[in-house]
Amino acid sequence: MKKVLAMALSAVMACSMATSFVPADDGEKTTLTMWCIATESDANHPAYVKAVEEYEAAHPDIKIEWEAFENESYKTKIKAAMSDPSTLPDIFFTWSGAFLGDFAAAGTAYCLDEAYKPYAEQLPEVMLQNSTYDGKHYAVPLTMNIVTLFANMDLLAEAGYDHVPETYEELTACCDALVEKGIVPFGCAGKETWCVTEYLEPIIEKTIGYEEMNEIFAGRSTWNNPEIATAVDTLQEMINKGYFDPNGIALGNDEVKANFLAGKTAFYQNGSWNCGEVNDAEGNFQAALFPVMNSEKATYGQVIGGPNDALAVSASSPNAELAAEAAFELGKEICHYGYLAGSGLPAWTPDYDISEVKPLVADVAEMVANADGMVLFGDNAMSADPANTYLDYVAMVYGCEINGEEFVEGLTGDLG
Amino acid sequence: MKKIYSNKLHILIFLLPALILFCGVLIAPLGASFYYSFFKWDGMGPKTFLGFQNYKELFSSNAIGFMKALRNSLLLALFSVVLQLPLALGLALTLGKKIKGERVFLSVYFMPVLISTVVIGQLWLKIYNPDYGILNVALRSMGLESLTRIWLGDKKVALAAVFVPTLWQYVGYHMLLLYAGVKSVPVELREAAMLDGATDGQVNRYIVLPYIKPILRVSVIFAITGSLKSFDLIYVLTNGGPLHATEVPSTLMINMLFKRNRYGMGSAIAVMLILLCFAFALLINAIFRGED
Repeated sequence: MKKVLAMALSAVMACSMATSFVPADDGEKTTLTMWCIATESDANHPAYVKAVEEYEAAHPDIKIEWEAFENESYKTKIKAAMSDPSTLPDIFFTWSGAFLGDFAAAGTAYCLDEAYKPYAEQLPEVMLQNSTYDGKHYAVPLTMNIVTLFANMDLLAEAGYDHVPETYEELTACCDALVEKGIVPFGCAGKETWCVTEYLEPIIEKTIGYEEMNEIFAGRSTWNNPEIATAVDTLQEMINKGYFDPNGIALGNDEVKANFLAGKTAFYQNGSWNCGEVNDAEGNFQAALFPVMNSEKATYGQVIGGPNDALAVSASSPNAELAAEAAFELGKEICHYGYLAGSGLPAWTPDYDISEVKPLVADVAEMVANADGMVLFGDNAMSADPANTYLDYVAMVYGCEINGEEFVEGLTGDLG
Repeated sequence: MKKIYSNKLHILIFLLPALILFCGVLIAPLGASFYYSFFKWDGMGPKTFLGFQNYKELFSSNAIGFMKALRNSLLLALFSVVLQLPLALGLALTLGKKIKGERVFLSVYFMPVLISTVVIGQLWLKIYNPDYGILNVALRSMGLESLTRIWLGDKKVALAAVFVPTLWQYVGYHMLLLYAGVKSVPVELREAAMLDGATDGQVNRYIVLPYIKPILRVSVIFAITGSLKSFDLIYVLTNGGPLHATEVPSTLMINMLFKRNRYGMGSAIAVMLILLCFAFALLINAIFRGED
């Protein structure tokens, strides 16, 4: 009896093991896997859900199996998977610039030139510039985002301002008035250094101009520029004048944003993906850009950002061609629903009713439409190692460990 | 049964699955880390052989900050031995005396070990919050405003602030190990000492402590190697910041591997961590053996 039982259990185990190695075959359906960062708490989550639902409804023979991961852990996961491309999903979320560039150079991302052709009219080629390497396209942009200066107009009114300051002199006067009223002007999350770059990069851009900044991020020009030192000193002057919440150094971005939305700080400078959330929050908010520091080299319309969030296809995917087409279809709809929800600006030309776009999102979309020039976020524009060296120096600036001259000197020595 | 055990082939067959598992999940990755540590590799493209260059850079480069991270780990190990273990031992000795509510206290002290580190991290993040954290609120309410700090944002106090929950979390773990040892001391020995007029302190010093020495050795090894490997709580609380003030070798390794794509350097840190843990385990064993 024991022998029979043992044999029966062995047979069950063998069957279960055998079935686990059989590829999932949902009838006649082809399954495409996708990894992204649209977790349930992410502003883009509903857009992904709708896009996948619509895609599956339009393609009954294809099933999209998608998983979402938290932003920071996703970076670790995707990089670890890249060292063994067989573990990659068919479609994966990526940031453009150097992040995707590393994958393209290693041959782990699939070239999308052919798949792009039918979508060329809806997706202007300029939107693909940050994911194009050696003239080849490697990703489908979803939304585009820029650094936006969000202002709580109720708090500004308390300081006697009915508009967001448009010049640096006016901004400092406004901050002085706010401080006098006991209101903290800015909040910035020191725990996440990319949030500090959202303050520093616009100041540098508005001091040296977007063209020179692009050259520096691309490694074609040197950091050894005294005007960058001046820009860094400007940020530190603002910190030392008490314009920034001193507690911010120990806080994460979510906490700083919550403080702003709760009316604890008057300004919050961060990505335009926050537009929807700020728009829906209780209070009177407006969006603007950081003012010009040097009018000879920069204009108000120069922005930090661009099409950055994207979907790429794994070169090792057995269904790469199909996945490429799916990536474009999904990308288009994620962009559509993300724009309407206010979680990003459209990288794709809208072919739908935009009358219900949230007012704050529409304002920022207009700023982008009138932009004079764009510089991709520094930590995306540079490849991983130099980007983290740069972030280390930015963290030291926010902690007032180094001044502008030391920032320039250090980066010139380490990055050129 | 005796026949089966006497057959070496059978023994090998029985041990083989565990051996394969052990080699697959421990020895092979160790070998791979050691191999990668000699290369410059971004995890995707071709590898460039560097020899011992990664190790040289690890110990000489201020930019990488390995020595600072190692110093932080060693400091944590020191505090584990001089603060955490004596506290755990004190609790174990007290609870071992069959005090009232022994089981309840045991469960309460052991509870932090059972709770997920991420949850503990979130808990302490709230305690340290500069605005509404209970620590600053308590200091303010006692009129000690000058002592309030941005605990996890001020690089002068961040390391100490991170050490407190790290040490607190595992007091219960060491207490349980030592408690088991204290409980295993034969009652006759205690009673004989008491009959000879020994006080509680003397019983602990001359009977209990020598008796639980092997467990103490294990606790010291766990405390020191655990400190060298510490990662999760520090990652949740500060991720090595502010300005690398709370960096430990494990957070630095993650930084090198997955943020900077420096797989060779990250592997070199992993190898150094393993070697250090082995070295300390051997050293502690030698010290205890010497005392024996």
